[in-house]
Amino acid sequence: MSASTGTRLARLEHVSYWYPNQDEPSLREVDLEIEPGLTLIAGDSGGGKSTLLRLFDGLVPQFHGGRVSGRAEVAGLDPFRTPIPQLAQRAGLVFQDVETQSVYGTVEREVAFGLENLGLPRAEMHDRVDEAMAALGIESLVGRRLETLSGGERQRVQLAAVLVLRPQLVALDEPTSQLDPEGAAALLAACLGLAAGGRAVVVAEHRLETLSPAADRRLTVEGGRVTLGAAELPGLSGVAPARPPAGDPVPAGEPAWELRDVVAGPAGRSREPVLHDLSLAGGRGEVVALLGPNGSGKTTLLRTLAGLLPPLAGTVRRPAGRTAYLPQNPGALLHLPTVRAEVALTLRRTGSGESPEPILAAFGLDLLADRYPRDLSSGERQRAALAATVAGSPTLVLLDEPTRGMDRAARRSLAAAVETLTAGGSAVVLATHDTELAAELADRTIELRGGLAVERARGAVADETPLSGGSR
Amino acid sequence: MTGPPAPSRATAAAHTDPASRATRAPHAPLAPRAWLVWSLAAVTVALVTDNPVYRGLVALVALNVLLTWLPPGRRVRPLAVAVLVAATLAALINLLAGHTGADVIARLPEWLPLVGGPLTLESLAFGGAIGLGLVAALFSVAPLSLVLEPHDVVDAMPASLERTGIAVATSLNLVSGFGRTFTEVRDAQRMRGWKPAGLRSWNEVLVPVILTAIEDSVRLAEAMEARAFGAGRRTSYAASSFGAREAVVVAAALAAATLFVGLRIAGVAMDWYPYPTISLPPIHPLLVLACLGLALPAFPLPTHRSAAPPGRSA
Repeated sequence: MSASTGTRLARLEHVSYWYPNQDEPSLREVDLEIEPGLTLIAGDSGGGKSTLLRLFDGLVPQFHGGRVSGRAEVAGLDPFRTPIPQLAQRAGLVFQDVETQSVYGTVEREVAFGLENLGLPRAEMHDRVDEAMAALGIESLVGRRLETLSGGERQRVQLAAVLVLRPQLVALDEPTSQLDPEGAAALLAACLGLAAGGRAVVVAEHRLETLSPAADRRLTVEGGRVTLGAAELPGLSGVAPARPPAGDPVPAGEPAWELRDVVAGPAGRSREPVLHDLSLAGGRGEVVALLGPNGSGKTTLLRTLAGLLPPLAGTVRRPAGRTAYLPQNPGALLHLPTVRAEVALTLRRTGSGESPEPILAAFGLDLLADRYPRDLSSGERQRAALAATVAGSPTLVLLDEPTRGMDRAARRSLAAAVETLTAGGSAVVLATHDTELAAELADRTIELRGGLAVERARGAVADETPLSGGSR
Repeated sequence: MTGPPAPSRATAAAHTDPASRATRAPHAPLAPRAWLVWSLAAVTVALVTDNPVYRGLVALVALNVLLTWLPPGRRVRPLAVAVLVAATLAALINLLAGHTGADVIARLPEWLPLVGGPLTLESLAFGGAIGLGLVAALFSVAPLSLVLEPHDVVDAMPASLERTGIAVATSLNLVSGFGRTFTEVRDAQRMRGWKPAGLRSWNEVLVPVILTAIEDSVRLAEAMEARAFGAGRRTSYAASSFGAREAVVVAAALAAATLFVGLRIAGVAMDWYPYPTISLPPIHPLLVLACLGLALPAFPLPTHRSAAPPGRSA
């Protein structure tokens, strides 16, 4: 892509790659050079971003199998043939999901795992662990258990766990997709620091806004092809029609759902409730967005409203008809052989006579309708689960982090679907970290923080008026 | 959404909150390998004889050790309740189904299947001894999960079993995810109109949960491989902290187990069989002493290094 300057850390020449049992390549004739600095990779879900990143440290093709053609060199090694442990010392990879990449329970042990594998002497391990944690500014996490960390802290621990191996190239695969804005900002700042320190940092992200100004180069991966430069990043506007003017705190339509003086949280004497005396309501055709950091009670509120979690006190009122609920990690619910069958199951179960086709089309799933859902990319799976969840004309739609891991196209189809639902009179409540989505879609935005619910008028950021929700 | 973060435990607690460590567990951490030997020895003693005196002693000693070392934020209560319920059930079942022994304490109508007939003191006592063995064995292995971290268990494994240890440690990490996925999928399917109706209906929940668990394992394997797992001979980040204290604990534990096994082979009477007429169990002072030797970790032992967590110089 760029002219060879002699400092390149990775070079791919005419590289194509096929996953096992696939006729279509996931990467096509890729020619690419990576130099020190920050490289951003954009592109729709399923386009080949993750596959490209896995090629640098040999996981593709060595871990995943399949067929590869062309030539590649990463920090002087051939990633197709060099054993992965050896490559790991030249190129590291941080994955999307913080949970399925942790081996141990405590911070330093987790960071040191790679060094233990290399059989390094203990004293050197300690030096390297300290060095990696200092480089990311997470020295204060020493001694903590992973489960007590925030998402952003955990992801930085995973980055440190890769850095201890002193790779020259660090790739991150959608590392912020599960993080709240604070966590994402801290991780991305760490990436910038590494790039400034002379490493090659390659980040595949949907949220490119933060990193874009600092990027040394941008790539787009689509349909397995890599092109230089970023694709246009259209906003959501233009999809969602005009909304009522900002600052209208009154529910738009007739009342659809209500929480009154609700105390909720896990049952059990020793557990602290997550929601305290919360009163909220929403109307038909209205979109309410719940914002707030991880752990602030958004999921508890949605589960209580769904009827999945009985409130410890207070009353919950839902509209007659079906309530649809999209959980976090919705890909987990898929189990049928095709995407169409998943949508059809919901329609049949809910007694709806509708055909699955309009819903599949609404979520851009027409071409994927006959695929096995678990073979899809994470963003495509998310859309499939969303389609399977909201099918059957629900009167109340509850969405927990619906844009997690979604690309722009999927977000646009989500916005359009929400618009269709509300036009039909459905009430929508969505919990999200995605402030842009909230700004575009929501009639009202409620911020949960430490048990306190604060209503934000549309567009307003500093206008915080406590609702009836109490705090402790 | 979770509540407040769970308190740190074990090594973490020592690092972040020396005070709580000082009040709850007065010692510098004991090397994982010493724990492994202690647990194996205590289980051996608990199972090599059915004498309720020794089993009871091991249960008390193990509970005492467990309470001494329990890290802040960890609870022994759920385990204790489960163990006591299991032990009580064992005693009751033997009482109701045994019907052997001279001392009849009650009688159930003969026409009752299985439980009908005389209920004897001997059956109750023997059932109690079985339950006591269960309590002793479970309390003996409890430190491996309640006191140690998964990585401690890996460290405790002999080098040839280290890979196995890591497989075990990582699968323990996935267990919490498994439970969460189950709740999520069950909730999601319920909201799609699923209702539990017979065994087969659970397919809709269990199949996606198992598929997700398999995917998670593959992802974890990939992440481990990307961090050089399988490169060859491993080393451990934790300092080998095997000192005089560990030697004393291990020696006492091994002596206890060896004494029990040795005397048993030598034919010394240590078992107790309450049928046909109940009698007091035989007690051998040497064996009582051996059981008490297992209690060493519950006493303050001389510390040979600072109270820093293993693996980090303070």
